[in-house]
Amino acid sequence: MARLTIDGRVLEVPAGTNLIEAARQIGIEIPHYCYHPALSIAGQCRLCMVDIEKVPRPQVACNTVVSEGMVVHTETERVLETRKSIMEFHLINHPLDCPVCDQAGECGLQIYYMQHGLYDPRMMDEKVHKPKAVPLGPHVMLDAERCILCSRCVRFCDEVTGTGELGIFNRGDRSEIGLFPGTELANNYSGNVVDICPVGALTDREFRFQVRVWYLDTQKSICPGCARGCNIEVHVSRRRPHHAQGRRVARLKPRFNEAVNKWWICDAGRYGSDFVDDDSRLQAPTRRDGEKTLEVAWTDMIPLAAGLLRRYRGDEIGVIASPKLSNEDLFLLKRLCDALGVRAVDYRVPPARPGDEDNLLVRADKNPNSRGAELIGLGLSDSREILAAARERRIKCLWVFSHDLLASAWPEGEVLDGLLGAETVIFQGTNANATSAYAHLVLPAAAYPEREGTWTNFEGRVQRFRQAFPPLGRALPDWEILGRLLQDAQGAPRPARAEDCFRDLAAAVPAFAGMSYRSIGDAGQPVRAARS
Amino acid sequence: MTTRRPEFTPEQLAEVRRWQGLYPDKRAALLPALHLAQDMFGYISEETEEYVAGLFELAPAHVHEVVTFYTMYFRKPKGRHVVSVCHNLSCHLAGAPDVLGHLRQRLGIEPGETTEDGRITLLAVECLCACEMAPMLQVDDRYEGHLTPERVDRLLAELR
Amino acid sequence: MSAPAAAAEPILTRNFGRADSHTLEAYRETGGYAAWAKAREMEPAAITDAVKRSNLRGLGGAGFPTGTKWSFIPKGHAGPVYLVINADEGEPGTFKDRYLLERDPHALIEGMLIAARAIGSRLAFVYVRGEYVVPGRRFSAAVRDAYDAGYLGRGLDIVVHRGAGAYICGEETGLISSLEGKKGWPKLKPPFPAIKGAFGAPTIVNNVETICQVPHIINRGPEWFAALGTKTQGGTRLYSMSGRVRRPGVYEASVRVPLRQLVEHYAGGVTGNGRLKAVVPGGASAAILRADEVDVTMDVDGLKNAGTMAGSAGVIVMDETVSIPEALMVVARFYAHESCGQCTPCREATGWIYKMTERIVEGRGHKEDLDTILDVARRGAGTTICAFYDGAVGPYISYIEKFRPEFEALIPHG
Repeated sequence: MARLTIDGRVLEVPAGTNLIEAARQIGIEIPHYCYHPALSIAGQCRLCMVDIEKVPRPQVACNTVVSEGMVVHTETERVLETRKSIMEFHLINHPLDCPVCDQAGECGLQIYYMQHGLYDPRMMDEKVHKPKAVPLGPHVMLDAERCILCSRCVRFCDEVTGTGELGIFNRGDRSEIGLFPGTELANNYSGNVVDICPVGALTDREFRFQVRVWYLDTQKSICPGCARGCNIEVHVSRRRPHHAQGRRVARLKPRFNEAVNKWWICDAGRYGSDFVDDDSRLQAPTRRDGEKTLEVAWTDMIPLAAGLLRRYRGDEIGVIASPKLSNEDLFLLKRLCDALGVRAVDYRVPPARPGDEDNLLVRADKNPNSRGAELIGLGLSDSREILAAARERRIKCLWVFSHDLLASAWPEGEVLDGLLGAETVIFQGTNANATSAYAHLVLPAAAYPEREGTWTNFEGRVQRFRQAFPPLGRALPDWEILGRLLQDAQGAPRPARAEDCFRDLAAAVPAFAGMSYRSIGDAGQPVRAARS
Repeated sequence: MTTRRPEFTPEQLAEVRRWQGLYPDKRAALLPALHLAQDMFGYISEETEEYVAGLFELAPAHVHEVVTFYTMYFRKPKGRHVVSVCHNLSCHLAGAPDVLGHLRQRLGIEPGETTEDGRITLLAVECLCACEMAPMLQVDDRYEGHLTPERVDRLLAELR
Repeated sequence: MSAPAAAAEPILTRNFGRADSHTLEAYRETGGYAAWAKAREMEPAAITDAVKRSNLRGLGGAGFPTGTKWSFIPKGHAGPVYLVINADEGEPGTFKDRYLLERDPHALIEGMLIAARAIGSRLAFVYVRGEYVVPGRRFSAAVRDAYDAGYLGRGLDIVVHRGAGAYICGEETGLISSLEGKKGWPKLKPPFPAIKGAFGAPTIVNNVETICQVPHIINRGPEWFAALGTKTQGGTRLYSMSGRVRRPGVYEASVRVPLRQLVEHYAGGVTGNGRLKAVVPGGASAAILRADEVDVTMDVDGLKNAGTMAGSAGVIVMDETVSIPEALMVVARFYAHESCGQCTPCREATGWIYKMTERIVEGRGHKEDLDTILDVARRGAGTTICAFYDGAVGPYISYIEKFRPEFEALIPHG
């Protein structure tokens, strides 16, 4: 440990801590561009200079480690003048693109300039020109003029993904970020360079010109793309429905979680939220009447569905649950199955193509809550056998959650026989698919940004996702649909909030004992078995 | 249009491997290897960069960084002879602008360009550290100094 | 003209007159490798101590005491230690290392043997600038002869490494990066090369001429060497004289030789219109001296006290017909071209300042330009990863401050 003083305040930090991290611990944010805790020290931007007593010249804070008795000043006149100078240097060749640059509002140059700037520019000469609007890959756009050559993106591709696509070519003020000619930035984490680029040099192609960032609200959530459960932020365009083609999810950004995904998210997850605002969203409860599909109010659909279920014996009902359901949903589903005497319930459906996996974040299981489904006990039976039983008419009522069984690894004919064999097919999910077309009753479910809930990742970490905006149309969270059905079936009071469901779950399932939304917090909490 | 892929001969490759072994880290042999590639293939194309990158197990982008950083690696075909005129301070005081002007007029090209017949590439360069013979230039491997229009003309006449 | 105050005896240049001076035979004939024979029997620490007491200071530009630099190598270091010779001569106005490589390569080899023993190095690299094709070949041939004669390959190996055109590779950590097969980007300090340098190992980078002095120090003793100079800097050095002088060339004299004597006696006086206007005393990065400021001695402290630096001892002489604004434009163009681009102040400001000097020379200057150049130069100094920008600042500030009316005359009024 080392004891030092920063701006008159004494603190103690582990030896080896650099001054940027040390200052951060007492709430002092030293301005910087090229430093990033995940990457090697570059020391190139020269913005993070501070005054250290007994050292004649200001030093960069990123490359200075604390020492016992060090006295640091981050806001002396000399430091502030130096920051002004460095900001001027950064802007010498930077183009006046603010009016058309997506980074406006969250741009490192704007932010520090407003704090420290020289407001009368004296650079009157022609700026150096470099390529603009260059697609580097499917997701990332480069504007080489805006680049301040902090090298974060180069170091990311070298040190995090190990793919080495990017380099800094030429020298002097002709230096330029780029790809080796003829290649593209197509690794599975390319979107992260947009996050770490402090300026508008690397921007997101999907987000380009969609909406100004100051119109965005953010909400904490979890990516549903695989069993890793990367922590994310959902950025919502609430006040500008005419922007982003009416999409409510403007973009997803990773949220730092030391234990799960650190600072990163894979591209599949980052760009995988289209389904939330897609035309295939189920927005109203419906029932099939011959050739026609009729919309039904929830007040009618609940008794209708409950009544249908009661018509069958428990052993005549088969439930293919989904590992996309939340812990709360799965808990209520289990209780409903118990109440109805249903034992033919499973959640596992093999995908047509086995999922890919890597040694960074991506898991082969493309569902967020397989572990939850296992722990809560939804794996009593086998989905394929349930389908076979439906084909053989032993199961008369088939209730499918979310899956498109016709897109699974099973032969289409086999699936169709099962779907057609059952007398009653109920489909509950967020989006219509080939399977939901065979349903007699369709129950529309809210998508994950439209509701509260928790998922358990492959390591047993329970994580909360939060509601960013209301559900589309009349879709409801799965736990709410199931709660109403339970109330109709059993007369039990239905839960008012997802948190209530979780409380009941924690009381009933030993793996979750002692847990609550509070204890889960923003960083998540491992289930009992996974705690050391 | 596919061009023959640049590749070192087995002897040259053995030489590169030997250089790699001289250093604690084989990457150190990159600059010498690129010099050899330029000597053999005339200039350093992107295919050459990719090829050399493979020999060093480096991402091609990092070889491209090196090639674009140093002035002596040519990324396009150059003339049979390279004439580099120093235009730094002592040579400037001794009349380098006139030497350059004379060459531009004689060759009909600007610094950075190559004559149409592929004979000469003309460059204006920074201090070659031969200020005692200013104004001076480098033609291929050797230095020529104390230049006058006549000496320059004699020099050009010798270059085929 | 008064006689030169320094030693008349040529030391570094003693062999320059012979046509075969670069051969092993010629070198041995004049006592070559005798110092190595002596040094091999000395303790490494004793060698370093002798160099310290000689007051030898780096002759590449920084002027750092050589023995002190050697002593920074961690004692008892278990892994390899590298000696790297900086033959990437590039400071405008300097050409002395080229002479040494061409005419006395064995002096460098002998010096390297002694230095390597002092610091515990078994593998040494000589980084030769890419443009030095003939000098590089000369030196490589000498290395081969030294191997054949058994001086090398028995405790010290030398690898000759060719650069590819970048002035910044003359900066010691830029050189190390280039040696490692990368762009010549200088490295953040700390760590310093003596602790963590080439390939992560303790490294000493020394200039060609500095190492060539070492055999003489061993042969004739550190006190003799020290007495040739001042209290803080010993020996002779090679002065590269160029510009508007009658006899441009390399001249050897004591480190305390007066600048005026170099110009008027050694280099034969001022040409052009014959009247001295200014002198750049230590390579382009040294602040310029007006004609009334040249009564200084050429040692590191003497020139530092005069507000400039000894640097690489590249002396560029200007007569009254020289346009100082034009000279600054040429020098600014050089720095803009050679900036490595790694850190923001140098990368952006060198290009901008060149654009401004070009405009001024072309008669399109604005009245704020001069103060802008001075302010931008001062604000960037001391903020960069290496001293390249500080070197650029020398001319940016001194040319304008000392010859301001000449600049102002080019700027349209109103």
